[in-house]
Amino acid sequence: MNTTQQTARVGLFFLLGVALVWVTFETLSDGKLFAEHSHKLIAGFDDLKQLKNGDEVRLAGVRVGSVETTRLAGRRAEAVLLIDPKVPIASDATATIEMSGLIGGNYISIEMGTPGSPPLADGAEIKTVSTPDLNALMSELGGLGKQLQESLGSFSTAINGDAKGGGGIIQKIDKILTDNTARLNATMVNLQQITDKINHGEGTLGKLVNSPELHDQLLATVGEIQTAAAQAKEFVANAEGIMAQVKSGQGTLGTLIYDPKAAADIRASIADIRSVSDKLAKGEGTLGKLLNDDSLYNSAEVTIKKVDRTLDGLNDSGPITAVGIVVNALF
Amino acid sequence: MKQITKVLEGVGSVVQLLLQSLSYAGTLPRQGARFIEQCYMIGYTTLPIVAILSFFIGTVLALEAGYAMEGFGAKEFIGSLVGLSMARELGPMMTSVLLAGRVGSAITAELASMKVYQEIDALTTMNIPAAKILVLPRLAAVLVMMPVLIIIANIVGWFGGSVVARYVSSVGISPEAYFAALRHYTKFKDVMNGTAKAEVFGFVVVLVCCDIGLNTRGGPREIGASVTRGVVVSLILILVLDYFVTKLLM
Amino acid sequence: MSAESLEASCSKTRNPFTGAEADAVSVKVEGLSKSFGDLSVLKNVSFDVKPGEIFVIMGPSGSGKSVLLRHIAGLDIPTSGKVTVEGLDPSLAESRDRVRLALVFQAGALFNSLSVYDNLALYPREHRSGDENAIRARVMHALKILSVEQSAQQFPSELSGGMKKRVSIARALVMEPQLLLYDEPTSELDPVMGATISEIIATLKNEYSVTSIVVTHDRSLALTIANRVGILMAGKLISLGSPDDLTKSKDPRIVDFLNPKIDIEHPRFKKLETKDNL
Repeated sequence: MNTTQQTARVGLFFLLGVALVWVTFETLSDGKLFAEHSHKLIAGFDDLKQLKNGDEVRLAGVRVGSVETTRLAGRRAEAVLLIDPKVPIASDATATIEMSGLIGGNYISIEMGTPGSPPLADGAEIKTVSTPDLNALMSELGGLGKQLQESLGSFSTAINGDAKGGGGIIQKIDKILTDNTARLNATMVNLQQITDKINHGEGTLGKLVNSPELHDQLLATVGEIQTAAAQAKEFVANAEGIMAQVKSGQGTLGTLIYDPKAAADIRASIADIRSVSDKLAKGEGTLGKLLNDDSLYNSAEVTIKKVDRTLDGLNDSGPITAVGIVVNALF
Repeated sequence: MKQITKVLEGVGSVVQLLLQSLSYAGTLPRQGARFIEQCYMIGYTTLPIVAILSFFIGTVLALEAGYAMEGFGAKEFIGSLVGLSMARELGPMMTSVLLAGRVGSAITAELASMKVYQEIDALTTMNIPAAKILVLPRLAAVLVMMPVLIIIANIVGWFGGSVVARYVSSVGISPEAYFAALRHYTKFKDVMNGTAKAEVFGFVVVLVCCDIGLNTRGGPREIGASVTRGVVVSLILILVLDYFVTKLLM
Repeated sequence: MSAESLEASCSKTRNPFTGAEADAVSVKVEGLSKSFGDLSVLKNVSFDVKPGEIFVIMGPSGSGKSVLLRHIAGLDIPTSGKVTVEGLDPSLAESRDRVRLALVFQAGALFNSLSVYDNLALYPREHRSGDENAIRARVMHALKILSVEQSAQQFPSELSGGMKKRVSIARALVMEPQLLLYDEPTSELDPVMGATISEIIATLKNEYSVTSIVVTHDRSLALTIANRVGILMAGKLISLGSPDDLTKSKDPRIVDFLNPKIDIEHPRFKKLETKDNL
């Protein structure tokens, strides 16, 4: 091979190399190898976390520069940012360190700032806001989890009792219901008898029609029945309130139920219901009047149906579900 | 003990040769023809093998990366992995290894045979230093040609990776995604970094191979021994220097 | 090849900065010993070569002739003793700047990667003696003296051994040396070319006071051109004198060396036979 040809090949080869270097440079650096045209901004933080040289600087998510260097300045850490001079950064803009993904790196995010505020000069310091990083977040979550576990534990103790035999709420409610089963049953039997008599009391209807006084009394009695129903409703509402409080995790309910006064109140309410049904059982003759008053009959019927369902539920269910059935049936 | 003395002797000899060669740096403009000839040998004729090797390094990188990253759904990072490892490490390293095998061995063989057949002695009696006309043009040529080889190796390697990314079904990411990831994580700085490494490796390979060639003693059999020694020492130096130069450039 | 034409060529190409006195170079070898490891090659060799003299070193193979020559050329460093060329250490580059010495290697030592022409032109080019035209004239003339000008564009690998030797001598001539060292200049050459070489050595001495040291075992060459002859045997200089002294010597080693008798009844041939039969 002659020398000229060899020289030409080497020259061509070298030029090819230079061209490729230039293409690579343009592609990878967007033609911004040398930083001399860039604005410098200083961002001071307590902790730069995992920020490192060359990380991106984004303004509202758009890449506008990079981190030139990180350094310690006294008690704080500083990142020197190289910003595209064509992008003005408002003087009230704030910089934060953000993560670009769980395994990705960090970048500096700059907020836009308010429009019209003067741009930061080259070398100026930008305001910063520190954000908790993933590690801090994780440790906080961990603390929260522990607290949650503790409160759930005490809640569970309140509901179910602890190993030392102290009764929980559920046991207490059970106890109340078991103690009063006989009285509740008696009340229900009375109610059954009333409805049977209404069903079979056809022969006395004429007397009821001729006695307006009796009619008035009957109306008053029905009013009493309604009051009693309202009281029953109130009792169940109280029960529901207990349940709601149990659900909301208040451990103080136990004491309420444990309180003998509260237990007495509940017993009194149940006694009221019983006395109402006793009165109804005695006032047999006045029931004919009921048949002339449709609205009265209907409201009685509705009440009776509800009580019926309650009775069915009480007969074939355990005491705990009985509370739920009462609640569900009445409301 | 004898081995240590030998190593120290070798180091001293290489440093001496380097200083000697550099002292003739001013004569380089008058050695244009020799410089071009060496550029041709070191750069032009080495290109095909560098290109072939780089292509396959790129493909293997992409393949392995695809296999490894599939496990945690990071396949879109294949481009960045191939891009960075080619530019920063494998491009410069493998090109230098090839240079040691192809050019280094040729240099050692040539200088060793010149030494054995008394051509070096003839130069000495002519008062023409071997460092000036044999070593200096080669050192200059490797410095000029290495960046060209590296940039070609990088680009061919990246391209190789993209071919695998596109056509191998187990990897299967689009060239656009591949090159976007590559561009996002590979900076020109990384390419420069790799080139700087390659310059160091290439320079050392040529210098050491020259020194071993020039210090050959004995007959033709010693030429073969010197070539083996030159390549082995070059490879060791590339790998050892790789660590230190990488650390230095961080 | 006539002495006149050589004179004409060399007067044209000779460097102007060297005066006649500077041209005549003396060589002094004092107590030179050289060992390679345990092998002692030269043992306390001492002699002087006067300016403009042709000094021939003879001796059987392996007697250390070539090593001695390499020491004078400054390619080897003595184990003990010293070699000076015009009072300077020949192994130093500075000395070679001041005294131009050329060595004609036994095997030629031509640069295999360069053409014959470039082999010869290398020295003047590297030392910047004259422009390319002057160098061309000088190179072509030297090639013509050795009758190898037709091979100017060939490469050493394409040449025969004898051709290489001639090119090698031409390359030495181009250097316009003050001290010329020949290592077996006539080996591998036909008798006619051998005579030409003798003539060149003699002419360089006579016309230009070039000091020459010739290592040879060519008896006729030695006795024709030598001013003085030294005989080296097993690393020792056993005789030093004029060719006449040498031929008259009664030393059996020298007589044997100069007039080798082939006696197939000699015990050493017997030995060889026995060896073969084993």
